[in-house]
Amino acid sequence: MAVFSSTEELHRIMEDLWNAIKSDEQMAGQLLASRLIVQFHYREPEGRLTIDCSDGVEMKIHSGECEKKPIVEMFMKSDVAHEFWLGKVNVPMALLQGKIVSKGPVSKALALLPALKPAYPMYPTVIKNNGLKVSV
Amino acid sequence: MNPFIFQSPTKVLFGEYTTTGCADLLLELGAKRPLLVADGFLLESGMLDPMIDNLRGLGEEPCIFAEVPSDSDVACVDKAAQFAREHGCDSIVAVGGGSVIDTAKVVAICLTLGGDLLDYQGLNCIERKLVPLVVVPTTAGTGSEVSFVAMIKDKKEGKKLLFGSPYLAPDVAMLDPTLILSLPPRLTAATGMDAITHGIEAFVASGTFSVATDALCLESLRLMFRHLPEAFSRGDDMEARSATLVASTMAGIAFTNSGVGIVHALAHSVGAKFGTHHGMTNAVLLPFGMEFNMEQAEQRFARIADYALAADCLEFSGKTDSYKASFLLDRIRSLLVEFSLPRSLKELGLPELDDDVLNELSCMAASDPAIMFNPRETTDEDLIEIIKRAY
Ligand SMILES: NC(=O)c1ccc[n+]([C@@H]2O[C@H](COP(=O)([O-])OP(=O)(O)OC[C@H]3O[C@@H](n4cnc5c(N)ncnc54)[C@H](O)[C@@H]3O)[C@@H](O)[C@H]2O)c1
Ligand SMILES: [Fe+2]
Repeated sequence: MAVFSSTEELHRIMEDLWNAIKSDEQMAGQLLASRLIVQFHYREPEGRLTIDCSDGVEMKIHSGECEKKPIVEMFMKSDVAHEFWLGKVNVPMALLQGKIVSKGPVSKALALLPALKPAYPMYPTVIKNNGLKVSV
Repeated sequence: MNPFIFQSPTKVLFGEYTTTGCADLLLELGAKRPLLVADGFLLESGMLDPMIDNLRGLGEEPCIFAEVPSDSDVACVDKAAQFAREHGCDSIVAVGGGSVIDTAKVVAICLTLGGDLLDYQGLNCIERKLVPLVVVPTTAGTGSEVSFVAMIKDKKEGKKLLFGSPYLAPDVAMLDPTLILSLPPRLTAATGMDAITHGIEAFVASGTFSVATDALCLESLRLMFRHLPEAFSRGDDMEARSATLVASTMAGIAFTNSGVGIVHALAHSVGAKFGTHHGMTNAVLLPFGMEFNMEQAEQRFARIADYALAADCLEFSGKTDSYKASFLLDRIRSLLVEFSLPRSLKELGLPELDDDVLNELSCMAASDPAIMFNPRETTDEDLIEIIKRAY
């Protein structure tokens, strides 16, 4: 069974997580410096999240359809996203096995990974606050 | 045993003059009108004549595109794709080194999927089979004849574009050692060092290697250590050429399934910035990358030495892993001397590196996909330190 019961729940949790990232000066600073627009496409359940750092000033978090053309797109099952934020995904293996699809300049997507590491410990709190019942 | 997935969809044929069976292979793949993307030197030398004769058996004069530069780029791909469309080509045969093969792979994307090439850069974002692609490597090094990746330059942006997908694996790789006899010693050595780097990095890759990739790496490295010096000093030695050719394909299958590492990450950034040859750059950086990984990879390096170098060193029994791993590193260093290859980035022709360039190179390496597979985590400072040492 999928971890997220609906698109709404998935969007709510991912938005909360990214808002927490946005409030962290160091992480937000690194993301803004990249000026990237990253779009996550989730399936089972469907979901779409766009993180827009293009103006270098304010990180914009948008769930659902978005008109802004992303620079990098990542496609994965919602469960893979959940496991990723729990720090349980072997990213190289997931890329080798096609569980994560990365569209656009791969190096730009990968450059973000180390910057996002401090967000892992935030995720269990975010899912707990949203009443998601899973063992972490 | 850890779970693993191993895939290698490419059919591999090996044999002297095996390429003279190319037309039948294309017919089996449902193709009749190939675009031949060929290395200019080999085409002019007449060495491809038997193969071209064979392709005439398909009924028409083959369409030949032989204008691939060593650092192939988007403009070259567009030109080749346009040429193929004008001639109604339904498949591609690539004969050349990694540059020709990578170009052909990207031409296959254009011919099959159309649209903007930039939409397909990335990992796993090609979603369907491409036009039939038959590949004949004429260097023994890159493994591109079986790999899932292709890299070409975007000269406008000054960047390398990476395309990675199982659909980029050629349908058939024809390994014909007669086509490698003409490879000069320096390129033989440099491309061979690329294959050795693939074998070593794929063997120690972090959490992605498997018994299947282990077997390929070890035997590939054994063949390379034994036969690369022969192929270097006697270019017409068919047995040595055959062994290095097969070994490089085996290493290609291995790294496709387990990844490479820090040496490739650094070589990609140095190559992108200074236009140095891929294999030659790996050759320079390999000892420094191995030194950096020594603590994490010592046992694995020792296993390589045990399997691939034992014949050179009969007193291995009873020796420690540390001794064997150092023996492997020394062997790599001695190969560079034997082949008169550069042993530093300076000897490779790089200018003095100021702080800006060092930062740029380390940033590029830190965000190169290869770095993810390295057994030791790296920081920007580590990368800068290695580049400085290698200079
Ligand atoms: N796709 C992959 O998996 C992969 C892996 C590693 C490297 N690469 C790419 O491969 C490229 C390097 O390829 P390479 O090392 O094969 O070199 P290359 O294709 O650039 O060729 C180097 C030179 O060798 C000449 N040459 C090739 N075969 C010859 C022969 N039989 N006799 C005489 N001369 C010959 C060519 O004309 C050229 O001048 C780089 O662009 C690198 O990015 C790709
Ligand atoms: Fe390589």
